[in-house]
Parts: sequence; C-alpha cells; structure tokens
Amino acid sequence: MTRCIMKNNKNEKSSTDRRKFLKLGLLSSVTAVAGTSLISNLTSEETSTSKEKIRLLTPDGKMVEVDAENVNKYPEAHITPSESRKGIPDRKFVMVIDLAKCKNARKCVEGCQKAHDLDYNEEFMKVQLIQDNPEASPYWLPKPCFHCDEPPCVTVCPTGATFKRDDNIVLVDNDRCIGCKFCVTSCPYSARQFNWGHKDKFKDTSQPYSPETSVPAAEGTVMKCDFCPDMLRQGKLPHCAQSCPMGVIYFGDKNEDIVTNGDETVRFSELIKDRGGYRHLEHLGTKPNVYYLPAVNRQFPLERGFNVDEDIIERYKDVPYVQQLKKDGKI
Amino acid sequence: MDIDKRKRELVKEFSPALENYSLKTKIWIGCLVAIILVGFYAFLVQLINGHIVTGMRDNVVWGIYIINFIFFVGISYSGAFISGILHFFKTPWKNSVSRIVELITVLSLIIGPIFILLCIGRLDRLHYLFLYPRIQSPITWDIIAIMTDLVGCFIYLYLTFIPDFAILRDNKELKVAKWQKKAYRILALNYQDTTEQRERLHKITRTMSVMIIVLAIVAYTVLAWIFSLTLQPGWNSTIFAPYFIIAGLYSGVGVIIISMYAIRKYFHLERYIRKVHFIAAGIVLLVMSLLFGYFTFSEYFARWFSHKENDVHLLDTLFNRYFWEFIFANYIGVLVPIVILFFKKFRTIKSITFAAIIAVLGLWLNRFLIVVPTLETPYLPIQDTRAEFVNYSATWVEYSLSLTGIAAFCLLFTLLIKFVPIIPMSGIIDYERDQKKYNKRQPKKAVK
Amino acid sequence: MKSNLMKHTFYASFIAILLFSNLGFAQQEEQKEEFDVRKYKTVYKFNSFKQSDNSRLLEVSFIVQNKKDRKDKIPVFEAEIYFYNVLNDEELLLGTAFTSKEGIAKLTLPSSQNYELDEDGFINLTARFIGSKGLKSAKKSLAVKDLHLELNLKEIDSVKTVIVKAYTLTLDSLQTKVPLEEADITIFVKGMLSNMPIKEGSIEDGVFEFEFPTNIPGDGDGDVTVIANIEDHDEFGNVAQEKFINWGSHKITPVKKVKNTLWSESAPLWMYIVLSILLLGVWANYIYTIFNLFKIKKEGKSINLATEE
Ligand code: SF4
Ligand code: SF4
Ligand code: SF4
Repeated sequence: MTRCIMKNNKNEKSSTDRRKFLKLGLLSSVTAVAGTSLISNLTSEETSTSKEKIRLLTPDGKMVEVDAENVNKYPEAHITPSESRKGIPDRKFVMVIDLAKCKNARKCVEGCQKAHDLDYNEEFMKVQLIQDNPEASPYWLPKPCFHCDEPPCVTVCPTGATFKRDDNIVLVDNDRCIGCKFCVTSCPYSARQFNWGHKDKFKDTSQPYSPETSVPAAEGTVMKCDFCPDMLRQGKLPHCAQSCPMGVIYFGDKNEDIVTNGDETVRFSELIKDRGGYRHLEHLGTKPNVYYLPAVNRQFPLERGFNVDEDIIERYKDVPYVQQLKKDGKI
Repeated sequence: MDIDKRKRELVKEFSPALENYSLKTKIWIGCLVAIILVGFYAFLVQLINGHIVTGMRDNVVWGIYIINFIFFVGISYSGAFISGILHFFKTPWKNSVSRIVELITVLSLIIGPIFILLCIGRLDRLHYLFLYPRIQSPITWDIIAIMTDLVGCFIYLYLTFIPDFAILRDNKELKVAKWQKKAYRILALNYQDTTEQRERLHKITRTMSVMIIVLAIVAYTVLAWIFSLTLQPGWNSTIFAPYFIIAGLYSGVGVIIISMYAIRKYFHLERYIRKVHFIAAGIVLLVMSLLFGYFTFSEYFARWFSHKENDVHLLDTLFNRYFWEFIFANYIGVLVPIVILFFKKFRTIKSITFAAIIAVLGLWLNRFLIVVPTLETPYLPIQDTRAEFVNYSATWVEYSLSLTGIAAFCLLFTLLIKFVPIIPMSGIIDYERDQKKYNKRQPKKAVK
Repeated sequence: MKSNLMKHTFYASFIAILLFSNLGFAQQEEQKEEFDVRKYKTVYKFNSFKQSDNSRLLEVSFIVQNKKDRKDKIPVFEAEIYFYNVLNDEELLLGTAFTSKEGIAKLTLPSSQNYELDEDGFINLTARFIGSKGLKSAKKSLAVKDLHLELNLKEIDSVKTVIVKAYTLTLDSLQTKVPLEEADITIFVKGMLSNMPIKEGSIEDGVFEFEFPTNIPGDGDGDVTVIANIEDHDEFGNVAQEKFINWGSHKITPVKKVKNTLWSESAPLWMYIVLSILLLGVWANYIYTIFNLFKIKKEGKSINLATEE
C-alpha cells in the first residue's frame, strides 16, 4: 500500500483542502463574494447538523466555523473493508502509556471522540481509577483496546467481523458484524461498545465507511478503539496521543523500536526496560500491545484528576478511594 | 382381529381430545394468542427502535433472552435425553410419558433459538453466519449443533408418530376435518403395521434414540462452552459442561412433571398417568436435584475457597445485590425439592408437582445468576461509564417476549395434542403384544 | 455585494446597541456571538529550511491569538502569502502560497534556485501578507547563509561511523569551502511517525563524527535513514541532510504464511477434521433413517396393491 504512507505531499494535501473548500462555496477569488457566501453557508450549516466545528479566520478578518469533516477528510486514503484486513506492511504497532504523567485531563478521550464521531457518553478510551492494593496509592489508567496478540474477541467472532491484522491492530468491520455481542463478553478488558439504538450520525454519508476510521458507526454492531490506522497511514499519531497535553501516550512501531508522544521520540525497548513497563492483566495470556509505565514519581497529585465535570466524577463513585474522599469532604 | 378391535377401542377413547375444541380450550388458546400478539408488538418495537428498548447495555450485553435460550434449549436437551433412554431401554412405563417428553423436546428446541435471534443486533445479516463462517467460534458450533439436533429431533418425533398416524388413518369413525384425515394419510406413509415394517421402524427408532442422546450431550456441552470458553471470572470453569447438562436435566424433568400434571388434569387421564409415574419422575428429579446441588456447591465453593480477587468480587455481588435471588436459586430451588422428594410420605402427586415448579423456577434464576452478575463484574471494574449502563434490569419488552416464548410453547403443545393422541396408542398395543408373548402362563394384569 | 454586507453589519450593530442598552444579561450572550478581530493579535512566523535535496522550504505560520485569553487561537485560512528575495530595495517575487487550515503556508524552492546575495553572503527573504479590510497586513524578513551539510556514513575498521561535514562556499568564483566554525547539531534516525534523536553534539571546525549505535533495528529490510539537522541557527536557519544505509541491527523475515490459530482467518486443521467427522456421522444416520422410511413406504404400497387385488 504505497499510496498510503505519504511523504512530502503536504502541498498536494493543502490543494485538496482547497478543493474541498471551493466545493463548499466558502471561498472564491473575489473576497467580497466570499464574505456573503460564507454567511449564507454558515446559517444553513448550523441548522442542518450539530457536528464538530473548527474555527478559521478568513483573510478578510471574518471568523467562520466549518464542519471539521469538510476540511479534515482525506478521500485519497479511503481504505475499504476488505483492504483494511491486510494491515500496514512490516509494522507492529504498540502503545505505551506513562501512568506517572496522567492526571485524568481526559483530552485523549475527547480527541478520540471527536475523531470517531462519538457521543459524549461513548468512549473508546476510558480512564479508570485503579488502586492495586489498599496500601498502594491509586492512579489514573487510560484504557484503550489493547489490540491483543491472541485476542479472545477475534477467536469467538462467528463471522470474522472482527479480525487481527499483521500490524498488530484488531479491527471491527461493522459491515460484517451481526451484533451477537459474543466478542463483548469475551474481551476481558471491557474494551468494546455496542450501538444499541438508531442515531442520526449513522446515516452520515459524507465519507465512505472504513473499519480503519470506524465512521460512520452502524446500529446493532460493535465498535471499539481502532488504533487510528487512518492517521498512521498518513504518518501521524493517533488522535488520543496527539491530544494529550501531558504526552502520556506514546505510539510507534515495535519493529522500528521507536515510539513517540509527539514531543519526545524514544526507543521502545529502552523505555520499557528503564521504566519497568508492563502489560495489564498479563496472566490472562491475551498478550496486549499496550504497555504501561508504572505510576511512580508522579508528576501530578491524583486529586488533579477530579478537576472534571460533576457527572464524570460520579462515574467513579464505586471506587473505595473516591468514597473515602467524599466522606472526608474533599470532593 | 384382536388387535384391530383394540385399535378401534383406543381411538374411541382418545378421539374426544382430537375431535372437538371445548370452550375451555378455546379460552385457553385465546389467552395464549393474546399474549403472543403482545409479544409480537414488543418484537416490532424492538425491531424498529433497536436494542435500546431492552435493558441490555454495554456491560451486560446479554440479558434474559440468553437466559431463556439456555433454559428452553436445556429443557429440550434433557427431553431428548430422557426420551432416548425411555425408548432405548424399553422402559415399562414409558408409554404414559414418552409422547409428552418428545413434544416438549421438539417444541422447546423450536422456541429456544428464537430467543438467541432476539439477542442479535442485526437480524438482517443472519445469513453472514453461513456466508463467512468461522469454525473457531463456539457460536458457529452452537448453530451447527442446534440445527443438527433440531433435524434429528424432528425425525425422531416423526418416527414415533407414524404408527399412530396409521391407526388414525385406518379408523373410519373418527370425526375430524378433511384436511386432518388427509394429513394422517400422507404422514402415515403406507404404514400397515406388518411385522416387517414394524421391525424396520423399531430398528431405526432405536438407532435414532441413541443418536438423540449423544446429540443432546454434545449440543448442550457446546452451549455451556459459549460461556466457559471465555475468560470471564464467573464463566471460565471446567465443570460448566457437565453442570449445564445436569441443570438441563433438572429443569427438563421438572417441566415434564408439570406438563404431566396439567395434561392429566385436563384430559382426565388418571388411568394412564398414575401416581407411580409421578413417583418415578419424582425420584429422577430427586437424583437430579442432588446432582445439581452438588455441582452448584462445587462451583461456588471452589471460587469461595480459592478466593481469587475477581471471584471474590463476583461472590460479593451475588451475596449482596442478588442475595434473595441467590438464596432462592441455589438454596430453596435445590433443598425444597430434595426435602419433598426424599421422604416417602411427602411424595404425593401435588407435592411432587410443587417440587417440580420450585425446581424449574430456581433453575431459571440460577441461569440468571450465571449470566448477569458475571457480566456486571468484569476483570477491570466498571468505571468511567454512565450510570445507567452499569446495571441490568429487564424492560417490559424483554418480559413480554419471554412470556411469549412460554405462551408459544403452550399453544403449540395444545395444538399438537389436538392432532395426535397424547398417549401413543401404538405403544400400548406393542406393550400388550409383548405382555401376551411373555406372560402366557401368568394371569393377565391390567395393562396400560 | 459589498453594500449588502454593509447592511448586515449595520443591522447587526443596531440590534446590538438596542440590546446593550436594554438587557444586561443579553449583553453577555451578544458578546459571545460577536467576533471582533481587533481583540486578537496576529502571530506571524517565518522560517527557512534547507532540505536534504538542497531545496529550500519557506514556511509561514499565520494565526491570531486572543489578547486576553491566550489559549484562544484561530488559524488564518487561505491567506495568500508572497515570498520575496530582497536585495537592497529590490524585491524579487519567489512565489506565493496559501495558508492551510492550520494557518501554515509553504513554498518549496528547488536547489537550482538562484538567490540574490548581499555582500556578506546572506540571502534576505521576506514573507508578506498584503492585508485586507478586516485583517492587517503582516510581514517578516529573515537572512540566511547558504550552508552545505555533508553526511557520510562509513564503516571505518568495521565501526559504523557517522561523519558530518559543514561548510559554506566563498562568494568568489573559486567557491572554496570554508568549514563551519561551530554549530549545534542533532542526528536522528527516521521513524514512521517521527524521527528519533540518537546523538546531540556540535560541529567543530566543520566536522562532527561519532559511532553509530549498533542496536538500531531499521525498517523491514534493515535500512536506516540517518538525518543530520541544524536547527534555528542564527546565520543558517534550519539545515538538514539525510541518507539511508543498510545498518539496521535486525532484519524482519516477512511472515509469508499465517499459522492457523484460534484468532486467524482459518482454524487449526484438527478442528475441521473433528467437525467433519461428527457431522458426517450424524447426517449419515439421518439419511439412513430417511432411506428406511422410504422403504417402509414402498413396502406399504405393495401391500396396499396386494390387498386391492
Ligand atoms: S482488548 Fe479486548 S477488544 Fe481489544 S483486542 Fe484485546 S480482547 Fe479484543
Ligand atoms: S458482535 Fe459482531 S464482531 Fe462481535 S462477535 Fe458478533 S459478529 Fe463478531
Ligand atoms: S488509538 Fe485512536 S481509537 Fe484508540 S483510543 Fe486512541 S484515538 Fe481512540
């Protein structure tokens, strides 16, 4: 798949962006005309969808909000469901999550939600509050799908709708999924979600479905974290790793032995060796491809993590530590 | 001829049940149809709105549909098992119950899989199971097993029907609709009850009965594996397959006793279904309840004793949130039948039936406790999930469809026993024939 | 069109004034809605990168930032940036580029591009946004010297050595090499998602040399791309050079045949065998049974015929 990993085609890409923009009628050579069409477009846009918007400033000083989708898409990189079964050649993707730096900022959750068109309550990435034993101090644990090397979810799927690729990624093809939910019950890490009812966003035809983007989702099928292969094909980090302000999430290719969090690029093997990297629930034998660096020498006190919405805090109400904090009136 | 006369007598005896629909029957059927219609509406609601109308959510993705599925299929397999044994060993009292058992077997095997369909998110893609099969998946095994078993049970049931169809076909006095007579004629396959034909039929029935026993074991094992081959703390257990088989037999015998009671009352068959039958079935139920109790105990005891963290978590849930369900399913549901059936003086028809009812209800709850609490206590604690997605409580749609399952079962049962006599006439004749052969010297006993 | 636009603003401000004077709470809302470019200051950056193929990339980043809320940044989209080579007062247009949705405009000049140099050997570059009614014009200039970076990968006594040489050329026609006195340099290994630094150091007297680590895996064929990079140098801007070589420590043997496992596409062989045997046995029995039923039927027929006769 040579066309996928794009080198130095930034110019080309910006020209497609431009084409997109032109298609929208948002811009033409005469700025004044652009101004009015912008306004009219804005209003019609707003009534139709409540999609994720990005703000841009036009050269004549007007701010416009456009659907992120319209400028964000890469139609040249569309990977069909059958193509998506192959995987990116010679790669073995891994993720390393540095628990010492996580303060439950939830930017990874939000970044992922935005990119995968998920609702507020749907998360591919969940942040858990784990306390290993009563003496241990609790820590925040961001939990995507672990893209196991021996994935029980794939084993039990009766139709092959979920599959393991050579590049380590486990994907779901929601064109094939019959919604038996067996994979959900088989995943020991509760990494999968099910689409229980109709939603308007399922009908979104603005981009063709690809298991690599998981968009649009479909009713009655499962979905989960996909490791963002669409981003990887462009040589970019997955959305969660990009959005984390603390650089908690490293991502990379194990063959290359390089992982990066965007700021810092390091040897994967050395990182794991030096920092005591481990995999969660190793004893289950699923051989995850997500590694954790233990929460030692924390950079933030745990309590920073409660700096989130009330309803998010409510989601941790069953954690004994949180109950204690509540009793002490600390949150 | 003696046998012909006896045949006519028997038809005369059973014809009222075949010929007319009493008012009571009509009301009964009406009620059942009403329940089914409500269920049909519920199904439409689910089809149109999606699974959001059920109580199942991201953590508890399987609810009472799956429980009903295991329950019905369990009854079916135990029915097949019992009926196979009855036939194979030519049990003396088999005639009174064998047809009841066979009907239960086939009907619950039809109803059960419907529940698994209700649990599937994309019914429109069901054929993908055959288009893109993956034989590593226990679901694939289960589908193959259920289909094979269904075909086998149908063939088997049909084999036991043939002689009766022939008798009904040959009887000119029977006042039933024309189509029904025609159906008898076609279905009887020119069976003339010659020695040759009879022997051939007996031979294939016997091999089929063995087949059915084997299939029942295989299929229910596979069903148990759907749970026990996963890594979930409450499911990943090596004894699940035998445990499920025992549990299936337990509930199956229970349902058989309940139906025996209902049929006896309804058709006034006190002459055929007698106390000895209840006591015999009761003793089987006793054995099963002991075995079931033993397995249940082993299962939970091992978890409690070794107290792995996740098992402890599961047991905590069972003993707190599901306390009463747990007590009913695993204490009352086991101990009450044992106490009733153990003491001779408690063994009356009514009390045995009562024990059976307790057993069946307890077993359904036991299945519930296997499925739901396990899903509520996964390896990683459920956090960062909206509150309404954490726990399971079934909605009206699910309850209504569950009731529909039971109603459909009863309705089909009622309709089928309008079509063939509930006591196999040919079996009685065979039995009498054998008796004559062996008891030439002894004075003839009352036969049934 | 223009007048139309004016009308809009007029009405909007009219309504705004009405609301301002009447309702206190509406004021806040109004403020949120209203976008005022004057509350934002322009952040306009200009950089030059000399790339490995000796081409030069000119990059402008053009965003506006809220004067009060510094986190509130908006990229300027589709602004046309003019790039000039300046000598004394003369401006030579090199090309133009539009800003992307991140607010970045890029112009790549080929290695064959001729620049006008000033007497010290600097290329003076200017990037200009002309400005419009709503947005002020912006301009930034920089001066860079053309630095040549040479990257040599050699095995010296079977030690893999990276040698970087940096020099400038004299302006006269002889074009003699003048070694670079001193500059910080970083050596990277190219990765799929980003480049990993393996050595940081400084060039002294035009040379920087070090041993290449032995345990860098490289790509599938064991190829490593080494990048030498001088960043943000006062005189030279950004200069990079890269080269690839088969120095990877391990080569991945491509997996040709996927083993049949529980989680692969096709199952282990024994599963197929066991399942086929089981199914065959059971269905054979069914067929046998049905076959016998037909026999019974036939027998019955002959009896029927016999009795009728
Ligand atoms: S974490 Fe769960 S869903 Fe992801 S690959 Fe492993 S078993 Fe499958
Ligand atoms: S729900 Fe879909 S992906 Fe999961 S096991 Fe069933 S068919 Fe496969
Ligand atoms: S890798 Fe992609 S899909 Fe997975 S959590 Fe991160 S952003 Fe979401």
